[in-house]
Amino acid sequence: MDSSIAFFIFAATLWAAWRRGPRVAVSLFALGVLFTLAVYLHHATDALPLSF
Amino acid sequence: MTPANAVKLNALALYAIAAVLLAAFYYQFALSELPCPLCLLQRVAFTALAVGPVLTLRHGPRPGHYGLIILAGLLGAAIASRQVLLHIMPGDAGYGSALLGYHFYTWAFLCFVAAIAASAVMLLFPGQFAESAPLLGTFEVGAVWLMLAVTLANGASALLECGFAWCPDTPVHYQLLYRPG
Repeated sequence: MDSSIAFFIFAATLWAAWRRGPRVAVSLFALGVLFTLAVYLHHATDALPLSF
Repeated sequence: MTPANAVKLNALALYAIAAVLLAAFYYQFALSELPCPLCLLQRVAFTALAVGPVLTLRHGPRPGHYGLIILAGLLGAAIASRQVLLHIMPGDAGYGSALLGYHFYTWAFLCFVAAIAASAVMLLFPGQFAESAPLLGTFEVGAVWLMLAVTLANGASALLECGFAWCPDTPVHYQLLYRPG
């Protein structure tokens, strides 16, 4: 569900970039990036096998 | 570089992004390799990469459009690099199959870095930034519609795989098609 929403946000962004003005597209792009980051943080919970 | 050449290169970039996503579909449906949540997010970042080129095709080349590609590339590289690090330990078989010795998340990382580098190179040619809207042919318009269709198909595929809940960490079947027992 989470990834589907992200795909549909970016599909809407591509549509807006093509049919509407750049301002709408950039706003949707920002929304899509923020949503994708939130989903990424939800899934990125495993500890990495690294030592710095 | 002329605006027309920049538009052609951006259309080519759209075809390249669509080709990457279609290759991922081939592995998913022909070889039954279900994408993990991080794999799906890398595909999302590939669709985000396409926003800048579509804006360039519709409104002409602008520096800001390349900025969007760089931001999407950074997002994708961050997600792909996490998956690389998850499987970096010796003996770890990685996730999914490999192509030419590299797993797809490693290829994805390289693609995102290449997209950032290509945008930086494009920004070095100010002659492309004209005010007039570009004249588009079938090649350019086809690239936009192909990219939109591939993005919608990915949304439908992800919905089929994950259903109406969070995507499972290690998917083994399509949630919407699964009938237990």
